[in-house]
Amino acid sequence: MTEQIYSALIAILVGVTAVVVYFWGSNWILDTLISRSSRDNKEVLREKIRPWLFAGPAIFFLTLYLVYPVFETLWLSFHNSDSSAFVGLANYEWLFADREFHQTLQNNLLWLIIVPTLSTVLGLAVAVLADRSKFGTVAKSIVFMPMAISFVGASVIWKFVYHYNGEGDIQIGILNAVIVAFGGEPQFWLSITTWNSVLLMLILVWIQTGFAMVILGAALRGVPEETLEAAIIDGASRRQLFFRITLPQIMPTVIVVWTTIAILVLKVFDIVLAMTNGQWETQVLANLMYDWMFRGAGDFGRGSAIAIIIMISVIPIMAWNIYRFRKDEAGR
Amino acid sequence: MKNLRKTLAVAVALATVSGAASAAGLKFDKADNRFSWDSLAKFEAMDLSGKTIRFDGPWIDGDADNLLTVLAYFEEATGATVEYNGSNDFEQLVLVDMKAGNPPNLAAWPQPGTVAELASQGNLAPLPSSVEAAVKESYAAGQSWVDLGTYAGADGNEAMFGLPYNVNLKSIVWYVPENFEEAGYEIPQTMEELIALSDQIVADGGTPWCIGMESGGATGWVGTDWMEDLMLRTQTPETYDAWVSNEMPFNDPKVIEVMNTFGQFVLNDDYVDGSSSAVASIFFGDSPKGLFETPPKCYMHRQASFIPAFFPDEYKDTVGTDSDFFYFPSYASKDLGNPVLGAGTLVTMMKDSPEAQVLMDYLTTPVAHELWMAGQGFLTPHKGANLDAYSSEVLRKQGEIFLNATTFRFDASDLMPGAIGAGAFWTGMVDFTSGKSAEEVTADIQKAWDAIK
Repeated sequence: MTEQIYSALIAILVGVTAVVVYFWGSNWILDTLISRSSRDNKEVLREKIRPWLFAGPAIFFLTLYLVYPVFETLWLSFHNSDSSAFVGLANYEWLFADREFHQTLQNNLLWLIIVPTLSTVLGLAVAVLADRSKFGTVAKSIVFMPMAISFVGASVIWKFVYHYNGEGDIQIGILNAVIVAFGGEPQFWLSITTWNSVLLMLILVWIQTGFAMVILGAALRGVPEETLEAAIIDGASRRQLFFRITLPQIMPTVIVVWTTIAILVLKVFDIVLAMTNGQWETQVLANLMYDWMFRGAGDFGRGSAIAIIIMISVIPIMAWNIYRFRKDEAGR
Repeated sequence: MKNLRKTLAVAVALATVSGAASAAGLKFDKADNRFSWDSLAKFEAMDLSGKTIRFDGPWIDGDADNLLTVLAYFEEATGATVEYNGSNDFEQLVLVDMKAGNPPNLAAWPQPGTVAELASQGNLAPLPSSVEAAVKESYAAGQSWVDLGTYAGADGNEAMFGLPYNVNLKSIVWYVPENFEEAGYEIPQTMEELIALSDQIVADGGTPWCIGMESGGATGWVGTDWMEDLMLRTQTPETYDAWVSNEMPFNDPKVIEVMNTFGQFVLNDDYVDGSSSAVASIFFGDSPKGLFETPPKCYMHRQASFIPAFFPDEYKDTVGTDSDFFYFPSYASKDLGNPVLGAGTLVTMMKDSPEAQVLMDYLTTPVAHELWMAGQGFLTPHKGANLDAYSSEVLRKQGEIFLNATTFRFDASDLMPGAIGAGAFWTGMVDFTSGKSAEEVTADIQKAWDAIK
């Protein structure tokens, strides 16, 4: 443990120093070289070079870690399991005929509808209600706290919530304990198909509501007072005030929050892996990909084909997200 | 900000490239006559100073310490350095290293199915013939063990690619001797007696078995172990092999018959604690706890040699007195000998080098087995290894079951392709205990198998 902390500290130190040295140093070298230069357009030249010095590392690493893997994955998806032979579209043909893949797509669709919507609605509700309550700040901190927990950590916590002991035993899972206390029968929740997926979704909703609350809370405060006052003078009820005046003004933010969570949902992996590993029909795309990629000796062809499907399904939402965000920014 | 973060990430990645675990000390004195020190002589004559061998495996914590002790004596004898890297996610890490063209010299795989795939892709080097000869000669039921490590290479020719090293035993039934004494039950010597005993317990108002199959994402594997053990007791080893390779379809009448035999136990509400429909929802590690309650919730529990780790705390260290085990017996009416079901790891050579070959040779010597036997969690069918080296009477008794085996077969679900052995088969066992017929379940699994062909 101390070894890890030690090397982490060294890494931080080395990393930060290297970055400072790079930016300060490259800037200094540029300045020195330019000031020695005898060209007459040297100021213009300097301002042309400087952005590349500053943005260069970012562009380099993005290309290395983001752009290159995309093409590599595409290439792999047209090859067989150990990438030794070209198979054309065979991996995709297999994928679209596979029953498990259909099941997985259905599940992902459910995730995509339920999680972002529920998180956004709950986040908005907390943001609005907390502003009116004395305990608002405390409530907000508590709702925000799960944001700090990793997905796997949250899964461990919720595994206990859903835990099942045989009938007649003491139920240590809170959900079953409550049900038994009211005279019901304990259930093995994670094996009840369809509902088990919803139970997994609740974990992500629990984590993401805090995020929605913070962003929407900020947007709420940005709603101009005059518009609200004008509506009150015109005799608007509280309900009308919220749905007709406030909500339309923060709508762009609501959409950005919804789409941001939607992108996260399409990549959801840790929760399913830790809770059920896709058993009892809870499979999702990212876990399916991991399964094919690394189960046994690994099938890199099929795994990559699934990865490409995930990427393709994320792109439209991401594009829409950026488009809305830009439009929103431009409107300010 | 972004480039700062990226640069940082790289720096962190560079700095945390973990230092490989360093060698443990020489834990046992060379005067200790539990160990066959003479097998080291051959290695002491070699000088491998300055050579490094990378060895990746699934063992961590205590297991890794035991392995490091084994390796320390090799390092001392030859002067070579062995870098052992252990991880829970060892398979994924090694696959990534392999794709990056940087595989370890040696790697130990818990799933022979994976070894078969890697061998056929040409990612493994055949083991030196001396290893094959040593296994054949010094392992009990030697040919079974050679076959376990023998697969077709990329050129289609069969060769031995995996050395079975560190095995565990699945064919055992746990019980509490005190409960047996009080009720006047005897240890059954045959399957017929075991079934008669189960009926006797029911007649006396007790419950014979505790069975729990829940294991998170791996739920169902307990059922597959039962199936495999019962198949070895009702069908020939050849049928078992044909089943594993799918030469015999999964929904063959023979497989259905075995599943229904399992059904006699698991689907019988009188036989299992709780009800048979709850079996899939009881955590496998909790299920043996019923043995220790008063009155006992059950009298017997069939589970592999590792299960004492899940016993209630006060019974963990008293295995052999408070709890004990017996061999899951075979049918007297069938002439199938004493089959043993187990699992374990296969050590493979991913990157050939003269030093790696020497280390493989070392792993077949008695001392390389005895050094780990003196630790924990290690059984071996090695006939040359001194049984006195086992650190406890319990381990010694389990080791003897291996030595007395006439047939050894590896856990079938680990031999089958991942999508079946770690997927459809597990799910199938869950479906079977929740009421689907054996015909339906086996047909479903065969359908899943057809889909990956």
